[in-house]
Amino acid sequence: MFAYIVRRLLYNIPVYLGIIFIVMAALRVNDPVWAYLGKHATQERYDQLASDMGLGKPFVQQYGNFLSDVARLDFTVESWDQPGMKVGKLLTQCLIPSLALTIPALILTTILAITVGLLSAYNRGRWIDQSLVFFSVLGMSISYLVYIILGQYFGAFWLNEWGIGIFAIEGYPESLTPSSWIHYCLLPVLISVTVALGYDARYYRAVMVEESNRDYITTARAKGASGQKILFVHVLKNAMIPIITRIMITLPFLVTGSILMEMYFNIPGMGRQLILAINAKDFPVIQVFTAIFAALFILTNIMTDVLYAIFDPRVRLQ
Amino acid sequence: MTGFFQSRGVRRFRRNKLAMVSLTIIMGYVLVGVLVGVFGLYSLDDTLERVGPANVPGFFGSQNLEKRFEDVDFYLKQTERGLYRRQAGQIIDRRDPKSGLEEVILGAFRAASTDATVVRPQVDSAVADFEQLEQNEDISARPDLLPELEALERNVGSLYATPGFAGGFKRWFEMILGTDRQGRSIAVRGIYSIKVAMLVGFITAIISVLLGALLGAAAGFYGGWVDHLVIWLYSTLSSIPNLVLLTVLAYMFTGSAFDGTLIPLYCAFCLTFWIGPCRVIRGETLKLRELEYVQAATAMGYPRMYILLWHVLPNTMHLMFINFSLLFIGAIKSEVILSFLGLGVKSGPSWGIMISQSGQEVINGFFWQIGTATVFMFGLVLAFNILSDALQDAFDPKHV
Repeated sequence: MFAYIVRRLLYNIPVYLGIIFIVMAALRVNDPVWAYLGKHATQERYDQLASDMGLGKPFVQQYGNFLSDVARLDFTVESWDQPGMKVGKLLTQCLIPSLALTIPALILTTILAITVGLLSAYNRGRWIDQSLVFFSVLGMSISYLVYIILGQYFGAFWLNEWGIGIFAIEGYPESLTPSSWIHYCLLPVLISVTVALGYDARYYRAVMVEESNRDYITTARAKGASGQKILFVHVLKNAMIPIITRIMITLPFLVTGSILMEMYFNIPGMGRQLILAINAKDFPVIQVFTAIFAALFILTNIMTDVLYAIFDPRVRLQ
Repeated sequence: MTGFFQSRGVRRFRRNKLAMVSLTIIMGYVLVGVLVGVFGLYSLDDTLERVGPANVPGFFGSQNLEKRFEDVDFYLKQTERGLYRRQAGQIIDRRDPKSGLEEVILGAFRAASTDATVVRPQVDSAVADFEQLEQNEDISARPDLLPELEALERNVGSLYATPGFAGGFKRWFEMILGTDRQGRSIAVRGIYSIKVAMLVGFITAIISVLLGALLGAAAGFYGGWVDHLVIWLYSTLSSIPNLVLLTVLAYMFTGSAFDGTLIPLYCAFCLTFWIGPCRVIRGETLKLRELEYVQAATAMGYPRMYILLWHVLPNTMHLMFINFSLLFIGAIKSEVILSFLGLGVKSGPSWGIMISQSGQEVINGFFWQIGTATVFMFGLVLAFNILSDALQDAFDPKHV
């Protein structure tokens, strides 16, 4: 097991080096300082920003410096757009709002989607299954943004008109308490659950159906096990591997947050911060954020592989 | 290629009625896209032109008296502007009302007459009627004012020429789905966006599938360092969250010569979308290269490259079609998100632009723009969703 983890880690080092390379190169295609300062910049200001970020040095040296910063988790560079704000501080600030949205959404989606998937697989081919599949395809054909816009209208504006103002139109509380969480975050969470449900339920249904076609199910049926027992004990247990994979795949997005949701509901999370930085051409923030996102992405990928190997020993042999 | 179209999978696919219906729908969209893009059914200027008052609801026009009153006001002001101009708060006659009236263009609507001596008394009396009506507060609560309002509408209507049959149809179509906040025709914008969606969908899906297929097949077939390189390439690109990569790429293009075009969008999508087909086709090629027919071809002395391109790649055709269909959906949906973030389509309308603009209208209870864009997009995406499912069913019997 240990050897397996080390192998996965080693294998991902060149991948990470490549990511940093691509991101750094892409961000330097246009001169980032000019892009930020615009036409009316003075030469001194230009030189100052460029030297702060070490942009005058050869690319290889910048690459090495940035890599060592990332390796030492040293994010003390300052944001251009918000002077005095260290990028590392920005990162930690944005983390909680993102997680406040994504973790409940993930838990709720998974529970609901597995339930729907089980229900659908149990009634395979009957009207309940067919209508569930039908509605999930319909739901998947509508843009995410439409759900957000209409969700905000009906959840916040429309309910407020009826005097049921449980949801805020947008924003994020100063301090996170259960009631303020419901007020500000529950609506975005509900919307993202609605959107994700169609995709996830279809996937889980496919998993369950595939699992219930296996020989051991026939055996269990032949031995006289009841339908419910087969479904909840045999199928669900063996479907755990694909379910865990699916959950793990979505884990990196916990941190990046739902960019769209954060932008629309003005929640100061990671995704929104990245988009704001891109709009403001805030080069240090963009560079660090993408590097962190990629690192987290890779780490969770490795974690998926490891968990996968724990649950399914056949994987390790390959 | 002909072998592929006679294969069992294709025959199974053609028996699927739902898939045939969705294919027809997609063809309809393609046709409209070609009419707009190649034959110039609507130009970019048509989508930016003002055709009427702001936020007119579709189908039957405004029902609310207040809104009807505002709309009449709009049409009246348009002709008034042709006759008079304001100077230091004073309304004075225009020196050349003829050219002023000729400038009154609202889509297919034109001023009925450009003779100021005819138009001026009409406008003056309409303005007087209007001002009298305006005295009443809260018009929507006064249904007894309806006859007067209708008379005013008739008067103002007579200021505009009744369009002929073709013009009348054009006008009807411009107003059928209402207007947006700037008085632009929602129907025209929706139709024009089909062209944008077709361009984004087809170009990115075709390039990504071909790129992914070539790289994937080469990686699976040759193995060795080619395989390592391709795997490194796609694991690197897929380790950056998709939306983050798209935004970084869009940032890369801001300020460049391509900024106003769709090229940044194509590049961003192609760079991320080729990974899916590449993975799948690499896996398939790994299986295919062990088959007897490939060994036979090798034994017969065909060059490796020839075997790859003519024997292996055609046998992954079904995967290319499935992935094309999936990527098309992905491209259209991602366009909406990028356009909302201000990184997607920048000149002219697209469904993404329409949906993100309609956020403000929805708050005021106006749903025509978001509805139009959603319905247009829904039809296309649903057709492609059904098509993808049918393709998977036909070619992969194990797929559930």
